[in-house]
Amino acid sequence: MKLTELFQKGVFVFTGEVGPVKGCCRTNGGPLPDFVREAAAIKDYVHAVNVADNQSALMRLGSLAASVLLKQAGVEPIFQLTCRDRNRIALQSDLMSACTLGIDNVLCLTGDHIRLGDHTSAKPVFDVDSVQLLKIARGLNEGRDMMGNPLTQPTDLALGAVVNPGFEPLDLQLLKMEKKVEQGAQFFQTQAVFDPVIFESFIRKAERFGVPVMYGLLIVKSPEMARYINENISGITVPRWLTRELEAVPPEGRKEKALEITLRLAKEMAPMVQGIHFMPLGWSDLIPPVVTELRKAGLA
Amino acid sequence: MIGTTKKPLEEVLAALAPHRKVALVGCDGCAKICQTGGVDEVAQLAQTLEAHGKEIVFQATPERTCNVAKSDPVLQPLKEKIEEADALLVLGCGGAVQITRHLTETYGLTKPVKVGLNSVGHLDTVVPGAVATEECSDCGDCVLNDTGGICPVTRCAKSLLNGPCGGAEAGKCEVDHSRDCAWILIYERLKALGESDRLKRFMEPKDYSRMAKPRTLYIKEGRVA
Ligand code: SF4
Ligand code: SF4
Repeated sequence: MKLTELFQKGVFVFTGEVGPVKGCCRTNGGPLPDFVREAAAIKDYVHAVNVADNQSALMRLGSLAASVLLKQAGVEPIFQLTCRDRNRIALQSDLMSACTLGIDNVLCLTGDHIRLGDHTSAKPVFDVDSVQLLKIARGLNEGRDMMGNPLTQPTDLALGAVVNPGFEPLDLQLLKMEKKVEQGAQFFQTQAVFDPVIFESFIRKAERFGVPVMYGLLIVKSPEMARYINENISGITVPRWLTRELEAVPPEGRKEKALEITLRLAKEMAPMVQGIHFMPLGWSDLIPPVVTELRKAGLA
Repeated sequence: MIGTTKKPLEEVLAALAPHRKVALVGCDGCAKICQTGGVDEVAQLAQTLEAHGKEIVFQATPERTCNVAKSDPVLQPLKEKIEEADALLVLGCGGAVQITRHLTETYGLTKPVKVGLNSVGHLDTVVPGAVATEECSDCGDCVLNDTGGICPVTRCAKSLLNGPCGGAEAGKCEVDHSRDCAWILIYERLKALGESDRLKRFMEPKDYSRMAKPRTLYIKEGRVA
């Protein structure tokens, strides 16, 4: 099911996110890999689950194969596709492959730089950027490749993109967002933000594009993780209040605290957006109670 | 300029291991600026190599070793000396090494031509004698007119053409926090010039066939093939 159809129906959309493992996942009838089970466990609460593409430039199982595994397990995948490791030929080929294998949703990304991953001596590709990728993907949906050659069958993919509301200067990020919309983005998932004031000023400016936006909600699990994110993950800032709240409880109480914070943020941001994208970093089991609460409160 | 750094001495000695009589060719152009292959560095290396048992047949430092118009007049008169040498060692960029090899071949000589430097890019000097930065990667279709004179192909770590990734923090690039995000620089510059509208323009994917190696420039025709 394409997310665009849900947005058109006015559904408040929830998505989760899993990261494929470093390793082959041929199960031979045995148990499913953990990330598939993690996704399957929340399938009644979210509409789809993002499948990361060699996240943070760490070499992993391909996001397409992992997306197909999710689909087989009854979970709607959002195939993440980055420009870091593929030139324009590979990108187009993978988009057609994805559609051929039953994928309905793709998230078009630039990708984290190789410098941040575990193969720092690799040759970065970045043949095209995310805006150009969206245009290319739209062209494939319309039945032609980027050189204008006709396809025997067009793709039929809902095209997602990302935006960072915490970016400074915000106007520059919005200029890029606008270009993404013009070139084919049909929905957005935001980078993680925790400050409702920042998020609101972003959303007020982004509303004019008329494209559904999903609030990116990162579940911070511990004060250590908060510090790690602030020091190592670019584009995300975990505010001090959040770290302090996690510090104030003993380690065994942190999951409950994380749930409370997540629910609070979800409730605060939900009225501003058309959906919520959870980044649970393994704690996907916190998603069902949050979704249930939001529905009870009439916010979703 | 073509930036160069010195190879470790062990690597140079290993490359010269089978050879005793060595001719040294530097470059008084870019390698001089990088303090890796000018007259002084050639003389220094000559001493070091002598201390390691090499015989230095000659030291020559053309004004631009990569340009036959400059290197041929220097090397041709040394033809007999080159013949006497077991090998040549060039303290220049990879281009200088290959032009030297090419010249020795035109002189009818088959001599090993070794390299003493690593070429590290087309770099431009911002602090003389101290810092050179990469400003241009010779893409063959310059976009500087649209980007406020700041090159996104080179100075953005991901060569993004349509604006920044989401990773910049406090104006710094997510890949290297000691570097400014190129797109924030472009944004500020275009704003200052009153040309912010240029940021809205979609830039098509680059035609990388213009960078397909190896390129040949036909100077009179102004044509690259
Ligand atoms: S766009 Fe950048 S890489 Fe291309 S020629 Fe201009 S400065 Fe050089
Ligand atoms: S932070 Fe800026 S310079 Fe660095 S990769 Fe992103 S857009 Fe390019």
